[in-house]
Amino acid sequence: MSKIRRSNNYFELLWVLAKTDFKLRYQGSVLGYLWSLLKPFLMFVVLYVVFSVFMRWEIAHYQLYLLLGIIIWNFFAEGTMAGLNTFLTKSEVMKKIYFPRILIVLASTISAFISLLLNVLVFLLIYLFSGMDLHAWMLFFPVYLILIYLFVVGISLFLSVLQVKYRDVEQIWEVLLQAGFFITPIIYPLMMVPEKYWFYLFLNPVTGIIQYSRKLIIEQSLPSLSGTLYVFLFIVFVVVFGYWVFNKLSYKVIEEL
Amino acid sequence: MMPIIEVQNLSKNFRIPKDKKYSIKANIADIFRRKDYEILEAVNDLSFSVDKGEFFGIVGKNGSGKSTLLKILANIYKPTEGNVNVNGSIAPFVELGVGFHPDLTGRENTFLNGTILGLSRKEVAEKYSEIVKFAELERFMDQKIRNYSSGMWVRLAFSIAMLVGTDILLLDEVLSVGDKDFQEKCFDKFKEFKEEERTVLLVTHHLGQVRKFCDKVLFLDRGKLAAVGETNEILDKYINF
Repeated sequence: MSKIRRSNNYFELLWVLAKTDFKLRYQGSVLGYLWSLLKPFLMFVVLYVVFSVFMRWEIAHYQLYLLLGIIIWNFFAEGTMAGLNTFLTKSEVMKKIYFPRILIVLASTISAFISLLLNVLVFLLIYLFSGMDLHAWMLFFPVYLILIYLFVVGISLFLSVLQVKYRDVEQIWEVLLQAGFFITPIIYPLMMVPEKYWFYLFLNPVTGIIQYSRKLIIEQSLPSLSGTLYVFLFIVFVVVFGYWVFNKLSYKVIEEL
Repeated sequence: MMPIIEVQNLSKNFRIPKDKKYSIKANIADIFRRKDYEILEAVNDLSFSVDKGEFFGIVGKNGSGKSTLLKILANIYKPTEGNVNVNGSIAPFVELGVGFHPDLTGRENTFLNGTILGLSRKEVAEKYSEIVKFAELERFMDQKIRNYSSGMWVRLAFSIAMLVGTDILLLDEVLSVGDKDFQEKCFDKFKEFKEEERTVLLVTHHLGQVRKFCDKVLFLDRGKLAAVGETNEILDKYINF
């Protein structure tokens, strides 16, 4: 099919779609966008009280470790959940106008990514407030943010088309996220896990991203390069695979909406 | 002259399962059973072309494949077989809407839709007041679309599709919705379209409208081309069918 659009302003379209998505996410709520900040921080407060005050874990900078872990995991969970439901929540427009379908999945993940960036900003404020200082290693942090974003995109592409065919996908993914939250060292420090299990924990690239980000920002040192390379290759594979499946199925599933 | 839309041997099949299975369990349980679905040939070996500036009517009974054909032209469905060549931008208006979001205001929906149709935000801004005026919704643009009446909804959707200025406009049963005054206005607008050499594909059961505006008509019967040609001739065939 030849040119259907007059101009190829896909970036502008992507941006408008992402902004709309962000706007609609909290529409009708009094606190609005604030929820994108409040949710992870409320979770942080609960977990901090339980583990630091009740169970008296004494770990240096535990609050920063915990907060950073929660913020990253929260993006992973919300981004993929929003992404996988794209076809169902946006069916109205997809059934009526053509535009590259991938844009709408990207838009919902970008809107979650905006929340992540806002959260990171607040994290950095708290970080400075805790008496830590800015340092050059932080400049590498965006690398990990981009990696986790790409991971969310890859998973969303794959799951979104699958979700139209099988509505079980959402339920299964929710359980996996729930399990992943505890299997990933978010609440507890990696040190508490016997070393023989580390290998398995790091199979999940989110573990790597969270650990390496902590190392970079809080411990102010260079994270494992080979580990980062593994995360990178894993994510590239997921993105390519997700894109392939999406391309193969996205037209078909629109007929089933 | 090169046709603006060219359709060659187009077929579209849908697989209609006897009962739709939405869960993995139901699918696993059924793996060893014979696949139970019918093939519906919504469009069957269709060839025709539309020239630039033509008003092209599509008539046929319910279920003859008119809407499916428009959706294929709009690139929403992919053909099962055959080729479709579209040499211009398209504004589709199918299923009485352009995909508004009920929780956005009229204004936000206009910008969203204009961008999806291929305009830049700046271009939408330039056309915005004209669209609002045409839809006669000046007072309601900052209200959420969910509070619109169905008539207001369709008027806005239709005004956007008409005024974004694409080369081709696909209209599926739209003029039956607005009131008489709005219909008149649309017909006046169509006259401008003719001068601007824009192409319109009109699907409707109102044969009077077809007779009045269309240069050519395609008559579909159960997905197959029954006749195509000059309006009066084809309509006579259709009426006597």
